[in-house]
Amino acid sequence: MFDTVLVANRGEIAVRVVRTLRALGVRSVAVFSDADADARHVREADTAVRIGPAPAAESYLSVERLLEAAARTGAQAVHPGYGFLAENAGFARACADAGLAFIGPPADAISLMGDKIRAKETVKAAGVPVVPGSSGSGLTDAELADAAREIGMPVLLKPSAGGGGKGMRLVRDAALLADEIAAARREARASFGDDTLLVERWVDRPRHIEIQVLADGHGNVVHLGERECSLQRRHQKIIEEAPSVLLDEATRAAMGEAAVQAARSCGYRGAGTVEFIVPGGDPSSYYFMEMNTRLQVEHPVTELITGIDLVEWQLRVAAGERLAFGQDDIRLTGHAVEARVCAETVSVREGARGFLPSGGTVLRLREPQGDGVRTDSGLSEGTEVGSLYDPMLSKVIAYGPDRATALRKLRAALAGTVTLGVPTNAGFLRRLLAHPAVVAGELDTGLVERVVDDLVTSEVPEEVYEAAAAVRLDALRPAGDGWTDPFSVPSGWRLGGTPRPVSFHLRVQDPVEYTPRGSATVTDDEVSVTLDGVRHTFERAADWLGRDGDAWHVRDHDPMAASLTGAAHAGADSLTAPMPGTVTVVKVAVGDEVTAGQSLLVVEAMKMEHVISAPHAGTVAELDVTPGTTVAMDQVLAVVTPAEEDR
Amino acid sequence: MSGVTDHLAEDDAHALRIVRNIVATLPARRDLPWEVTPAVEPKVDPSGLYGAVPVDSRTPYDVREIIARVVDGSRFAEFKSEFGQTLVTGFARIHGHPVGIVANNGILFSESAQKGAHFIELCDQRGIPLVFLQNISGFMVGKDYEAGGIAKHGAKMVTAVASTRVPKLTVVVGGSYGAGNYSMCGRAYSPRFLWMWPNAKISVMGGEQAASVLATVKRDQLEARGETWPAEDEEAFKAPVREQYERQGNAYYATARLWDDGVIDPLETRQVLGLALTACANAPLGDPQFGVFRM
Repeated sequence: MFDTVLVANRGEIAVRVVRTLRALGVRSVAVFSDADADARHVREADTAVRIGPAPAAESYLSVERLLEAAARTGAQAVHPGYGFLAENAGFARACADAGLAFIGPPADAISLMGDKIRAKETVKAAGVPVVPGSSGSGLTDAELADAAREIGMPVLLKPSAGGGGKGMRLVRDAALLADEIAAARREARASFGDDTLLVERWVDRPRHIEIQVLADGHGNVVHLGERECSLQRRHQKIIEEAPSVLLDEATRAAMGEAAVQAARSCGYRGAGTVEFIVPGGDPSSYYFMEMNTRLQVEHPVTELITGIDLVEWQLRVAAGERLAFGQDDIRLTGHAVEARVCAETVSVREGARGFLPSGGTVLRLREPQGDGVRTDSGLSEGTEVGSLYDPMLSKVIAYGPDRATALRKLRAALAGTVTLGVPTNAGFLRRLLAHPAVVAGELDTGLVERVVDDLVTSEVPEEVYEAAAAVRLDALRPAGDGWTDPFSVPSGWRLGGTPRPVSFHLRVQDPVEYTPRGSATVTDDEVSVTLDGVRHTFERAADWLGRDGDAWHVRDHDPMAASLTGAAHAGADSLTAPMPGTVTVVKVAVGDEVTAGQSLLVVEAMKMEHVISAPHAGTVAELDVTPGTTVAMDQVLAVVTPAEEDR
Repeated sequence: MSGVTDHLAEDDAHALRIVRNIVATLPARRDLPWEVTPAVEPKVDPSGLYGAVPVDSRTPYDVREIIARVVDGSRFAEFKSEFGQTLVTGFARIHGHPVGIVANNGILFSESAQKGAHFIELCDQRGIPLVFLQNISGFMVGKDYEAGGIAKHGAKMVTAVASTRVPKLTVVVGGSYGAGNYSMCGRAYSPRFLWMWPNAKISVMGGEQAASVLATVKRDQLEARGETWPAEDEEAFKAPVREQYERQGNAYYATARLWDDGVIDPLETRQVLGLALTACANAPLGDPQFGVFRM
């Protein structure tokens, strides 16, 4: 075993790896960019090395600096985590060249599996089923139709040059093949200037099921069962569980064996994941999609049902040890479900519908741990979450003897997850876990997008305003145990009249004036209000209130300031940034006439573009940004004065 | 242009904002002129205040029922409780402020007035503000009392009230008639504040008494001329007098003419007194300087 291991990553996975290193008595070396100087992974590691400025390209993605950090700290091995350089064959090679053990598969396996076409050919040759489709390029219309009939309906016609779903056509009826092929060619030519087509079996209600494999350098390969990751948004997993309700023992064994074959076919070593796509109606026909040559985000669910620490075995295998168990020794016990807590808001606001990255500073943190619940997190109080790195903050994993128990525990754990200061999807995930389809195990990769509207409400419960008002009222009360100036008591008392209770101008979305009408108990980190005989308790920090995974940023609204500065129209005329990010495109200038819905500028954050469009026809009165401007959430970007007739 | 205006506001709301900013720069309260302690709510339920004063001012009552519902923790340290019992005097706290309470428990006799003067001097020496709970139909009248010097004894109390340096607060909880109004710190004796309960009456004497006095004078005149005055005529004579006193002695008639600082809900007496005492505490106390007490 190694004496010192460098963890070439950040956030929760770095913390996670450091935990196992500590348990094994191995010295851990963290690396950090300037943005992470005080991050949790830095504090939890035995030592840490600064590797550059905040942008990942100059720090966490810099092979040179990572190797230098390893050399300076005497590390013998490098754990890449996931993301960043985890599946970079060049980095794996560079580690080897520098005499460092790369805790992951051989560089050749990484590059082989990183090439989707070669990967498919390799595993197909090893007898692993892949999605049936045409082979070879430059097929004629007739060859395509033949291939389609051979594969069986329905099929998907894909432009060879395309990507992201553009130009794909679903064909359910063989009689329409000729017409559809012709149409697809026209579209592909128009879009990409290349009308080469592929044909593939269409997988109906696809489910994402993956198999964890573990291989040592001595020819032993085992699988640790599957994980189902069908709950996704924007093609990114948000809930993962093990085992899958879809698989029976025979299918599990067959898929496991296929995964082991896939691993063998590329000379795999360490922990890896073989992803399959499985038709919802027919779990026995599973198809290889790709192999992830790294530790997966969702590895904890496998750890919980197998009792195997995957990071520990990554290390042992990298150190040359043999697997201490064979396939028959592996037992799957109980059920585990993981939820990814991300810095994102799930909004139904007009013009900002969907999942948007958020940011902020963690003011108050509570992460459930123990009693069947595990939280892997990179957060600590004071952590600043920006748009620099991945928005995933932590993972909450619950384990129970059966699926229902695990789901219930996870919901409770998410309710107890507090990250005040940074809006997260915890409340949304909690509601998603209670959705009848999720409870019933009827999952597919499109489910989240279909039900998102039912799981989000833009309405702010009255008790939130009550609690926010209670906090403010409490702050107005004179402090101290001594004599109290009766004039300083905010009772709203009036001589000879009914009291005029203190009211507060508050804003979550639209400004409201709220007068507290219940009773309240306010402490430094909690506020309880009783409304109509029901007690509601919130966590609190600064202007934030949190309950059951949901959080509200209740700001003070100053109607007078708003009216004096003319920003009283905020929300109607002012266009604000829906997320922290960078302005990439500005299409208008001050004084331009715009029509309702016209796109004015584009804000980008974390691989996501968001178009800001005019809420109404009018004139651009203000424009505060240029391309490249970094903007904070809710920052005013532009003001559009409505055209006269709209007034 | 003249520089007379310090600030310019766009509208009322803006003006209020500016005023708030100005107030925010006012200096913090200086040391209070007397020692204060944390306020304690009365132990006796204040809602009983509504029934504490009888409708007819001639019905006997105990003013301690009011005191117990107004002062901190219902704690009242009575002074000279066995002497001059128609005046109740003693120390208590209201909203943490020390107060000397002077409260009527019947008409004023010589002893009551002497005790009142003595107590007011004590409070003056100790720098304790005075609270007068006024429900007074006047000083005792009659030959024996005149001969006993009630006028000079009453004058002692009036002198004490007039001369004391400590803040005075008056609450008229019932009637306020005749010279009793002076000794109990009526408007002319410069209480910092004076409030009336809604049931309070204020006039030089009661309506019934005034009607009787005028009727007696009239009857004497008639009888001197050998005429008789039938009872129904006398009643017709008295009714408008009674009615006028009733109307003009009403608390709202008085407050409408700014003879007081407001009609207050009896339940708010404690709150009003607490605020007023706090306001009074902003002014430093002067030196003791009493006038000549008639001996």
